[in-house]
Amino acid sequence: MRSVRITRQAINPARVLASVGDNEAGGAVLFVGTIRRRSGGKTVEGLTYEVYRGMAERRMREIEARVRKKWPVVKIAMVHRYGRLKVGEVSVAVAISCEHRAEAFEACRYTIDTIKGTLPMWKKERFKGGSQTWVKGTPIED
Amino acid sequence: MMVKVLYFASAQGLANLKSESMYLKEGSSVKDVAAEMLRLHPDLKSIEPTIRYSVNFEIAEEDAPLHDGDEVAVLPPVAGG
Repeated sequence: MRSVRITRQAINPARVLASVGDNEAGGAVLFVGTIRRRSGGKTVEGLTYEVYRGMAERRMREIEARVRKKWPVVKIAMVHRYGRLKVGEVSVAVAISCEHRAEAFEACRYTIDTIKGTLPMWKKERFKGGSQTWVKGTPIED
Repeated sequence: MMVKVLYFASAQGLANLKSESMYLKEGSSVKDVAAEMLRLHPDLKSIEPTIRYSVNFEIAEEDAPLHDGDEVAVLPPVAGG
């Protein structure tokens, strides 16, 4: 399993966490993003993610390089799903192991925040009753 | 020269297509793609101020020069995670 990837398949967070296991690490932090039922007071049935795949994978590798520059990361894994997801399903997972926990928490927080702002990905909310709208988003950051 | 232009998300819906080839004068830049895009797909005017562009997978400013065979992507505001 590649540690940085975009996939249409369901994400198994336990496997993502296991992939950063290492005897040099004193701790690992796992973030799991899931599809929430409520959005702006409306009931969501699911989200459809679109991705500019070539660019997104390249940008994930850039994020990894940036994170490794800022923190002494032992291992890092990030997996983002695309396609049609239902409420409760996992859309993204980030796992980071470091020698000490403080670094692992900070690096994981930074990684998921950066994923949200810099990956060329978009999501459409599918509401009960059949209507769909693109989530507003923010201009892509460098 | 010819560049390939990709449309994503709301831009794809407004242009009603995923990608197209654009023929441009030598020395053209990203802003020439933007102008041609709006000429071909006027509905994109509604979101144009929020669009950013990439050239060969890298975010590009308006004055970024283009070359034959480049891949230009029209990127509406993003929402990953």
